[in-house]
Amino acid sequence: MLSYIIRRMLLLPIILIGVTFLIFCVFSLLSPMERLATYVRDPNTLKSPQSTERLIAKYHLDEPFPLGYINWLERMAHFDLGWSQTANQSVADAIKQRFPATLELVLYSIIPVILIGIWLGVISAVHHNDMLDQTIRVTAIIGWSLPTFIFGLFVLFIFYGILGWFPPGRLSAWAQDIVYTGHFTSYTHLITVDALLNGNIPIFLDALRHLIAPIITLSYISWAFLLRITRSSMLDTLRKDYIRTARAKGVDEHTVIHLHAKRNALIPVTTIAGMMIIGMLGGVMITETVFTFPGLGFWAAQSAQQLDYGTVISFALLFSTMMVIGNLVVDLSYALIDPRVRLG
Amino acid sequence: MNRILKKLFSNATSLVGIILLVFFIIIALFAPAITPPLFDDPYQIPRMSWDINPQPPGSLMSDDMKEIYGFMEKEVKWEKAICGTAEGGYDIFYGLIWGTRTAFKIGIITVFISMLVGIILGSISAYFGGWIDEILMRITDIFLSFPFLVAAMVLTTVLGRGLDKVMIALISFGWMGYARLIRGSILSTKEETFIMAAKALGVSDTKIIWKHLLPNTIFPVMVQGSMNIGSMVITAAALSFLGVGAPVGYADWGQMVSFARNWIIGSPGHAGQYWYAVFYPGIFIVLFVLSWNLIGDTLRDILDPRLRGEL
Amino acid sequence: MENKKKLLLEIKDLKTHFFTEDGVVKAVDGVDFEVYQGETLGIVGESGCGKSVTAFSILRLLDYPGKTVDGEVIFKGENLLKKTEDEMREIRGKEIAMIFQEPMTALNPVFTVGFQISEALMMHFKISKEEAKKKSVELLKKVGIPIPEQRVNEYPHQLSGGMRQRAMIAMAMSCDPILLIADEPTTALDVTIQAQILDLMMTLLQEFNGSLIMITHDLGVIAEIADRIAIMYAGKVVEYADKKTIFHHPLHPYTLGLLTSIPRLDIEMKRLNVIPGIVPNPLHFPSGCKFHPRCRFATDRCKKEEPSLIKIEEGHLVKCWNVDKVLKEVKKGLLVEV
Repeated sequence: MLSYIIRRMLLLPIILIGVTFLIFCVFSLLSPMERLATYVRDPNTLKSPQSTERLIAKYHLDEPFPLGYINWLERMAHFDLGWSQTANQSVADAIKQRFPATLELVLYSIIPVILIGIWLGVISAVHHNDMLDQTIRVTAIIGWSLPTFIFGLFVLFIFYGILGWFPPGRLSAWAQDIVYTGHFTSYTHLITVDALLNGNIPIFLDALRHLIAPIITLSYISWAFLLRITRSSMLDTLRKDYIRTARAKGVDEHTVIHLHAKRNALIPVTTIAGMMIIGMLGGVMITETVFTFPGLGFWAAQSAQQLDYGTVISFALLFSTMMVIGNLVVDLSYALIDPRVRLG
Repeated sequence: MNRILKKLFSNATSLVGIILLVFFIIIALFAPAITPPLFDDPYQIPRMSWDINPQPPGSLMSDDMKEIYGFMEKEVKWEKAICGTAEGGYDIFYGLIWGTRTAFKIGIITVFISMLVGIILGSISAYFGGWIDEILMRITDIFLSFPFLVAAMVLTTVLGRGLDKVMIALISFGWMGYARLIRGSILSTKEETFIMAAKALGVSDTKIIWKHLLPNTIFPVMVQGSMNIGSMVITAAALSFLGVGAPVGYADWGQMVSFARNWIIGSPGHAGQYWYAVFYPGIFIVLFVLSWNLIGDTLRDILDPRLRGEL
Repeated sequence: MENKKKLLLEIKDLKTHFFTEDGVVKAVDGVDFEVYQGETLGIVGESGCGKSVTAFSILRLLDYPGKTVDGEVIFKGENLLKKTEDEMREIRGKEIAMIFQEPMTALNPVFTVGFQISEALMMHFKISKEEAKKKSVELLKKVGIPIPEQRVNEYPHQLSGGMRQRAMIAMAMSCDPILLIADEPTTALDVTIQAQILDLMMTLLQEFNGSLIMITHDLGVIAEIADRIAIMYAGKVVEYADKKTIFHHPLHPYTLGLLTSIPRLDIEMKRLNVIPGIVPNPLHFPSGCKFHPRCRFATDRCKKEEPSLIKIEEGHLVKCWNVDKVLKEVKKGLLVEV
C-alpha cells in the first residue's frame, strides 16, 4: 500500500502543474487588453496608454509564454486572483463570501445521493429483472435523461410557482435581516448549522425551506447515476463464486446480500461516487442559477454571461484544484477499503 | 450483429427508444418542408411579433411582421404560432423543428470526433506502453480534473458564443473517457495469444493495431459513445441555458429554454401562464436524450453478459 | 462378507433445467445414484455434462434461471427438494458441505480466512466470536497450514493456491458434515499438491465416517479414491456401479470409450483411441439416446427411444439398449487394471 500512496502523492504536483498550465493556455487565448481587464477595478484606467503600459509591465503580460506562466502562477498562489466585475469585489473576497452557501448545498445533497442511490441500486440488483427492478431502472433512466435545468425549472414551477412551498434564494427577507445584521453569530457560515447553534429555530426552518428544492434538483441526477452503477456492480458481484460458497455454508440470504455481496460491490462504487460528488460542482452552477441561490455556481454563471474573464478563469482554477485533491482523497481511500491493495 | 438488433427490437425499453429516435430523425429530415426558413440562415428563428412577453399557442403573426416578410419576399407558411412564441416573439414551433437538426448535429459530431481523438490517443498509449503511456495518461488525468460543465463554460466564455465554439468545448473535454476505455480494452487483449502469434509472424505494428486489436476492442467504446450523445446534447443545452452557448434566436432547444427561465413562474395570480415557453423545448430535449439513453442502456445490458461469456 | 452400509444419500431421476432466453437447457435430465455412509462416490464426465449442476441441485444452490423440475434427493431418509429454505440452511454447511474448484474465486476477497471459517461455526453452533476464532486456528492447523495463528488473520490473496484450497477444506469441514461434496477440487492445482489435498480430505472424513462425493473428469483421481462411480453424459447418469465393475466390466459404450481412450504403456498403440464426435450442444440434444451419434453400437432404436434404466445386478445400473453387445467387446479384454 505504501508504494501505492507514494506514487499517488508524487502525481499530485505533476497534475496540478498540468492543470494550471492548461488554464493559463486558455487564458492566453484572450487578447492582452482583455487579460489586463481582469486585474483592474475600474475599466477607465485602461483608457490612457501610459497606465495601460505600466499595467502591462506590472502583470508581465508582454513577456514570453513560460515567464508569463510562472508569474501568473505565483500570483495565483498568493491568492491575487484579480477583480470580479460581476461581484464588484476582488475575486478572492467574492469566493470567500459565496463559498459557504455552495458548501451547505453540496453537503446536504450528498446524503440523498448516497443513501438513495446505493440503497435503490442494491434493491434493483437483488430483484433483478422483475417488476420492481424494471420500475426502478426506468425511473433512473428518465432521471438522467432530464437535464438538471429542466428538472430544476420544473421543481421551481411546481413547488414554488404553484404550491408556494419552497421559494428560491437562500433566505427570506426577514431572516436575512437577522442573519446579516442582527443578533446572530455566524460560526460556520452554514446557515442551518449556525441557526441551531444560535438556538434560532425559525431561521433554521427558513434556511431549510430554501434548501430543499435545490437539493432535490442537484442530487437527483447523481443518485440516478449512482443507482445504475451500484446495480451493475451488485449484479456482477452476486454472480461470483464466493457468493455461492457463502450460501453453501448456510448463510442466510440477507447476510449474503448485505454483508458478503455489498462489501465487495461497493468498492468500485465508492471511488466512482467520490468522483461524482466532486463532479457535482458542474451541476451546482445550474442549480444555483435556477433557484438564484447565492453561491459560487450562480456567480460563476453570471460572470460567464457577462464575460467577466477574471472570475471565470479563477473558477476554472478553483474547481479543478478541488477536483484534483478530491481525486487524490478518493484514490487513497480506495487503498484503505480494498484489502487486496492495502496488504498487497 | 443481427442478434443484437433483434434483441434491441424485442426489449420494451429500447423499442420505445428506437421509436422516439425515428420520430426525431423524420423531423430533422423534413425540417425544410415542415417549417421553411424565412432567413438565409435556416437556424435563425423567425419572429412572429415584437412582443417581449411570450405569447400563447395559437397566437397569430402580427401585421407588421407579415409586412416585413412580404417585403423580404419570403412566403410565410405558418401564420399561427402553434406552440406559442418565446420572449421577443420567436416562434417556438420553428425552433423545435430546426432545433432537432441542431441536436443531431451537436450529438453526433461531438461524439464522433471526441471518440476518434480518444481512440487514437488511447490505442497509441496502450499499444506502445512505457513512457508514451505514462505521458498520455497524465495528460488524460489533467483533462479529467475539470468538471465537464465548468470546463466547457470556461472555453465558450473565452472563445465566444456560437454553436461551433460549443462543439469545440465539448470535444476538448469529452475524449478522455473513450481513451481510457479503449486503453483498458487493448491492454487486456494485447496479452492474448493471437496477438503474439501475429507479432511472431512479423506483422507490422500498425497492421496489428488496425486489423487485430481495434476490431476486438472497439465495440464497448461505441456503445459508450452512443450513450454519450444524449449527455452531449444536455450539456450543450445547459450552456445555452446559462447564456454561453448558442446565440439568441438560434434554433437550439437549450437556447429557447433560457428565454423561458424568467417566465416560468408567470405573473402574480397566473402561475404557469407561460408554461409553453419551457414545456415544448423541454419535452423535446428530454425525449431526445431519453431515446438515446433507452437504446444505450439496453445495448449495455445485452453486451455485458455477452462480453463476459466470450472472455 | 458384505458390510451392510447405511444409505446416506439417494438421488432418483433428478432433473434440473435452465429456462434461458434461447431455450430450455436440460442440464440434468435423469440422474440416479446412491451414496453410502463412509464411502466415496465419484461422478465422472466431460465438461458440460451436468456434474456441477447435479451437486448444486442437491444443496439447492441453483442460480436463476435454473430450476429442479423433477426427481428426489433423499438425504437421511428425507427428500431435500421438499424442504423449506430455512430447513435447507440448517443442512448446508452443517450436514452437507461443499468445496469448489477454484479457491481464489470461491473465497471472499474482503474477509479474512479466519472470519470465513468462523462464520459457519458461529451460525450453526451459536458460539462466540472468540471461541469460533480459536476453533478456526485449530482447523487451519488440522488441514496442514503452518503458523495458523497468523494465517487466520490473513486474506485469501495472501495465501498460495494449495493453502487456499486447504483453507476451503477447513471451512467446509468446520462443522463436521456427514457428507462432503467436492466439485473438481484439485483440477486447478499442481499434481503434487493434488495428492496432498486428496489425502487430507480422506483423512478428515474418516475421522467420523463421513462420505464424499467427488466430481471430476480425471479418471486417475477416481481410480484412487472412489468406492462407487457414476458416469455422466449429457445430463444423465449412464452407468452407475462400484469401482471394480466400472473398470473391469463396464457396460455402457461411453464408459467403454472413456476407459479405452486412456493411453497404455504396456501394449503397443499406433493411435490413441478416441470417442468420435463431440459433446452435443445442450440446446439441441440428439433424439433418443443422447450418445447415439458417437456410439459404434447404435441401432435404430437408439435413435428413437431414450434408454430406460436397466438394473444389471444390485448396485449396477446402466442406461443403454445394447448392453449385450458391449459385454462381448469387454470380454475381449482391453481394459485397465485397477
